Amino acid sequence: MATVTMTVNGKSVSGEVEGRTLLSDFVRNNLNLTGTHIGCDTSQCGACVVHVNGKAVKSCTMFALEAEGSSVTTIEGMANPDGSLGTVQQAFQDNHGLQCGFCTPGMVMSAAALLEENPNPTETEIREYLEGNICRCTGYHNIVKSIQAAAAAA
Amino acid sequence: MVHIFPENLSSALASMEIPAKVIAGCTDFYPSLENGHVPDRIVDVSKVDEMVGITKTTPGWRIGGSTTWTKIIDYPFPPAFDGLKAAAREVGSIQIQNTGTIAGNICNASPAADGIPPLLTLDAMVEVQSADSTRLVNVEDFVLGPRKVDLGTNELVTAIWVPETRNNTTSSFLKLGSRKYLVISIAMVAVTLSISPQGLIEFLNIAVGSCSPVARRMPVLEKKLTGLRAEDLLDDIRIEVGDLTGLTPITDIRGTSEYRQSAVRELCQSTIRDAIVKSLEIT
Ligand SMILES: Cc1cc2nc3c(=O)[nH]c(=O)nc-3n(C[C@H](O)[C@H](O)[C@H](O)COP(=O)(O)OP(=O)(O)OC[C@H]3O[C@@H](n4cnc5c(N)ncnc54)[C@H](O)[C@@H]3O)c2cc1C
Ligand code: FES
Ligand code: FES
Repeated sequence: MATVTMTVNGKSVSGEVEGRTLLSDFVRNNLNLTGTHIGCDTSQCGACVVHVNGKAVKSCTMFALEAEGSSVTTIEGMANPDGSLGTVQQAFQDNHGLQCGFCTPGMVMSAAALLEENPNPTETEIREYLEGNICRCTGYHNIVKSIQAAAAAA
Repeated sequence: MVHIFPENLSSALASMEIPAKVIAGCTDFYPSLENGHVPDRIVDVSKVDEMVGITKTTPGWRIGGSTTWTKIIDYPFPPAFDGLKAAAREVGSIQIQNTGTIAGNICNASPAADGIPPLLTLDAMVEVQSADSTRLVNVEDFVLGPRKVDLGTNELVTAIWVPETRNNTTSSFLKLGSRKYLVISIAMVAVTLSISPQGLIEFLNIAVGSCSPVARRMPVLEKKLTGLRAEDLLDDIRIEVGDLTGLTPITDIRGTSEYRQSAVRELCQSTIRDAIVKSLEIT
């Protein structure tokens, strides 16, 4: 076991992890931030996307130890300080951008990273950016609409 | 489990003197772990200073081995690198490009590695270092077979070198998959070429991936088309079976051998045309 320290959603946290502990397991099991979902074991589905130092990464594709000293944002960090939904989250709710919701944390994190890079994406750019996020419910249509709405609202 | 995070090259190379599993972006590493069994000793090279980033020097470009695909996409390379950038955009998805590295792609040595065909057409070389030696190997000679590269247990791929290209060089990369996104190639083709002021093909490098154990250059076809009028090739590029040498496409879940055989010809034509169109645009 080793101790890992990082900033998660603005707070400094540390925990005891095994060398093989994935960042996704660390945030879920050690920090109880279960908004980050795990949908596969092949780094394909994107349910586990978080931001590490501002970049969207699949947290199942990183050891917790590799995030030592990093600044990590999870879906829980997307809410406003008063606990109300952040812009992207609100847009997903308003536009019915989810059905079962399993993919949603990853979708929101990818969408936020996209809007950070490109505040006014076209539909094609949105669809391209979401290539690493798989949704089995919505057919993506309302997800795209939600992100367009979030862009307009920002 | 011992997990080592060297921050400079000399400590990275020193830590390789005891056998270890190298990891960088881990995007090949995790999905291939069997039963979650993690090797006992891991050296993470993703933060080794000398292995991250791109520099332009007199003999050419040095792309650090741990440079991510996202960094390659964002770098202001000349048009000769358009093919490599296009391949970078095809590696998995944005999140995979944010962590996956160029050396990881080469060392994993998948027949379907998207990074390899463009590097073959750029005559790229792999910089391999150990604590007491440095050598440069052509990508062609470095990748020996599926999952097999010319790398000693104490060596790291520290950089990829791309020699200086002529000003008017353009390149292109096309990948055929069974859907548009997040897909492993059925076949892919990279082309790098230049056109003379007289409108003739000055040089033409073509590489095909996913149709043989290791991606290969197509010397017969290159020779056949060099010297021809570029504009004529926009209308008609004759490719006979004998022009594509050394391809042994397999039948697997992604496509049959026959399908790959015919698709690759079509894909070669489209990629060559695409590079010609780009070249005519910049001249
Ligand atoms: C969902 C998904 C989709 C993907 N899609 C594609 C795709 O479309 N096209 C494609 O080509 N690839 C694809 N990949 C594979 C992978 O993302 C790329 O090959 C990537 O470039 C690997 O880089 P990495 O840094 O993550 O390698 P790692 O997983 O860290 O390492 C890969 C191998 O290389 C070795 N290695 C890494 N760096 C060095 C070094 N500097 N010196 C010596 N050895 C080293 C490691 O020991 C390991 O054996 C995909 C992966 C995933 C998870
Ligand atoms: S859990 Fe599926 S990509 Fe991470
Ligand atoms: S809403 Fe169910 S997987 Fe996307």
